Amino acid sequence: MLETRNLDKRFGAIHVTRDVSLKLEKGERRVILGPNGAGKTTLFNQLVGELSSDSGSIHLDGEDVTGLSVAKRARRGLSRSYQKNTLFDGLTIAENLGLAASVAQGHATSLLRDSLSRSEVRETVAEVAAQVDLAPVLDALVSEVSYGIRRQLEVGVALATRPKVILMDEPTSGVGPEMAHGFHKMLNDLPRDLTLLIIEHDMDLAFDVADTITVLNYGEVVFDGLPEAARNSAMLKEIYLGSWEDA
Amino acid sequence: MFRHTPLRIATLVLLGAAAILYGLNAEYFGLEILTEIAILAILVIALDMVAGFGGMVSLFHGALMGIGAYGFTLLATKAGVAPLPAMIGAMALGGVVGWIVGAICARTHGIYFIMATLAFGQMAYSYIFESSFFGGDDGLSGAPRLDLSGLGIDLNDSRGFAFFALALLLAAYLAAVAILRSGLGRSVTGILHSEQRMRALGLNVWRVKAAIFGLSGVLAGLAGTLAAQHIMYVSPGLLAWTVSGEALVVVILGGLGTLVGPVVGAAFFVLLKHEVSAHTTHWHLVVGVILIAVVMSRANGIFGWLEARVARWQGRTHAAKTGNLALEGDSDA
Amino acid sequence: MTSDPGFWILQGLNALQLSMLLFLLSVGLTVIFGLMHFVNLAHGALYALGAYVAASVAAAVGYWPALIAAPLAVALVGVVLYGGLIKRMRKAGPMSQVLVTFGLIFAMLDLTRIIWGDFALGIDVPQILSGRAAFLGIEYPIYRLFIIALGGLAFVALTLVLSRTQIGAMIRAGVDNDEMAACLGINVEKLFFIVFCVGCGLAGLAGAIAAPLLSVTPDMGLQILIPTLIVIVIGGLGSLQGAIAGSLIYGFVQTFGAVLAPQLASVLIYALLAAVLVIKPAGLFPAKG
Repeated sequence: MLETRNLDKRFGAIHVTRDVSLKLEKGERRVILGPNGAGKTTLFNQLVGELSSDSGSIHLDGEDVTGLSVAKRARRGLSRSYQKNTLFDGLTIAENLGLAASVAQGHATSLLRDSLSRSEVRETVAEVAAQVDLAPVLDALVSEVSYGIRRQLEVGVALATRPKVILMDEPTSGVGPEMAHGFHKMLNDLPRDLTLLIIEHDMDLAFDVADTITVLNYGEVVFDGLPEAARNSAMLKEIYLGSWEDA
Repeated sequence: MFRHTPLRIATLVLLGAAAILYGLNAEYFGLEILTEIAILAILVIALDMVAGFGGMVSLFHGALMGIGAYGFTLLATKAGVAPLPAMIGAMALGGVVGWIVGAICARTHGIYFIMATLAFGQMAYSYIFESSFFGGDDGLSGAPRLDLSGLGIDLNDSRGFAFFALALLLAAYLAAVAILRSGLGRSVTGILHSEQRMRALGLNVWRVKAAIFGLSGVLAGLAGTLAAQHIMYVSPGLLAWTVSGEALVVVILGGLGTLVGPVVGAAFFVLLKHEVSAHTTHWHLVVGVILIAVVMSRANGIFGWLEARVARWQGRTHAAKTGNLALEGDSDA
Repeated sequence: MTSDPGFWILQGLNALQLSMLLFLLSVGLTVIFGLMHFVNLAHGALYALGAYVAASVAAAVGYWPALIAAPLAVALVGVVLYGGLIKRMRKAGPMSQVLVTFGLIFAMLDLTRIIWGDFALGIDVPQILSGRAAFLGIEYPIYRLFIIALGGLAFVALTLVLSRTQIGAMIRAGVDNDEMAACLGINVEKLFFIVFCVGCGLAGLAGAIAAPLLSVTPDMGLQILIPTLIVIVIGGLGSLQGAIAGSLIYGFVQTFGAVLAPQLASVLIYALLAAVLVIKPAGLFPAKG
């Protein structure tokens, strides 16, 4: 469903991602682990096109999307959520979801009527709200809801475009471990044909959702395999776990 | 996305009633002022659409108005087109030029967007100023007024023309509301809040920016065709960057992103200008000091200040309720 | 005409003279922007003020005292502006800054009219700078050569201050990252204050040296504002190299455009600006990498 071949990105002398090759099957849930500065977010930015790659290629559902703009990749089914807040703060939760749905459904430039009053947009909003547990707070302004709800909405906005693949950048960052487990339960309840690539900081949390695990270190893939193998890998404990337990 | 709150509707009704009463009773000079207010109000509605709702602070809108005025005058005099199609043609021209400039400037943000629009505005100004085809420094005269005698309205009478301008102001306002409430209007608001997110959702951002700038150009062009008919003469001064600057001042004085506020601002600005000019030649000093005071007060202009006061008075619960329009449809329209 | 080398030398000098005048104006504006992220549209009004002060002082006691008094007086106005307005508007967005300083333009326009009246004033240049110098087969006004020399001197001096002195290093650090500079123990507020006042003083100096060339009128500030903004946007906001490069580009395009392609001249520079903004939005020599 999503494949990268030999992706590279340098900022000046620093090699941020190095020869990254990944292959995600349809419906696969993969977690990317790695210490701070391992190049995880850079890789995401390359995947969605917010950052151009120095070399290598990206394939979405069999199509080479390497040269496409952010918007074009999004229209082909690649969606993402952000670690930092990029929600529409002055609008309600329903309007946030509705905007996302109306862009995906092609009503975003219509002059004829309000895109959010269209029945198909309203249906999507209701569905997504149920999927990410936001139905009771649909009418609240984003600026007035709790941090946890904003994290749920981050995923909801990404879901509302009805994508094939969602890249989630630390969806549980800043919420407590208790809530993070609940959050991952919510992710596990999403339709099984949806492909997820998730950056996660905490390895224990990663095991909640991961079918497979990829570990980045200094921009390189140093591990690619099943969660059990990752749990037992001495190499990972040394180069990766050690570095964050110190932190 | 634009919402009609009770305060906005009440303000509009009040403004409309005052304009009609004034229009029925005023003498020649008063009617000229009323027409001037209506034309400026159309221009600032156009500017608020992009600056207030889209975050695109434009110093090109004076030029768009000038393009409408010159387009109308040239079509109606040199090309011999009847006034009504000439008006429509000039508005379309404003739309096309607005679309092109919006599309080119869409990549730039903040101060660079302001500078880019300023550059295009000055380009239009210098070109018309130097070109003999456009009458150069002297401008062009002979712009005719629309003939509505079939409807029993005499536009050569200043009362008839003032009401004509008011009717077009109402039409421009309703058009702006409809645009801002459409899918496109929603997307413009989305871009204002988070351009990066809109792009990640799959939106072609520059296309939305160009579209709203073009539509704004149609309205600015309309203001231009009215200005040309009003004084029956066009000069390059219409396109000067200070005209754009003044329009921006009016939007800010009234209340950015409220649509109603800039109309209030236009009335306030024109009345104040005539009042002050009657007593002193130092009108600029007065407007400069007021502008500095308004911006430094951090209130969103006269109308924005009023809205904030009313919201506080009504209490937070009610404010939250009116804020939650969401998907219940346009029940508050 | 164009085959005559004298023509090229003459027009080249004209272009250089315009460039240097613009440089004196734009360098203050651009460094203020780079350091404080503040857009001061009233910079042109300060230039007009400098010209008026110079005209008054020159009429009373002569040209040389005027050349010193004008920058000092305008720097003093800068002190007042900084304390009263600029400091409070620093954190506001670009639109608020544009509007406040736009208001300032209006207010200062009328204040100069109230103090000095509506009539154009003139300044006589001192004996030593009047007349023409003959060289390379042409004759050229000495006063214009003086402007070129003064602008060149200012460029060299500012380059040395920025690259060799401690305050220059602090300014460069501040332009690069003001939060980081504050962490390094640099008193950023004081730095802003100094740079703002020096920038204002340079605007006053530009006004004083422009006064004998042009007639001193209330709207001379408005007329110079747009060229100055074009210079700093083409050059890249916040950079000294940008200010000199932008000034030279503007001076030469404008001067040679006017004599070689008069039909296009007025539009040419705006088209160039639009092209730069679209292709390299941060200008040709942006202050930050």
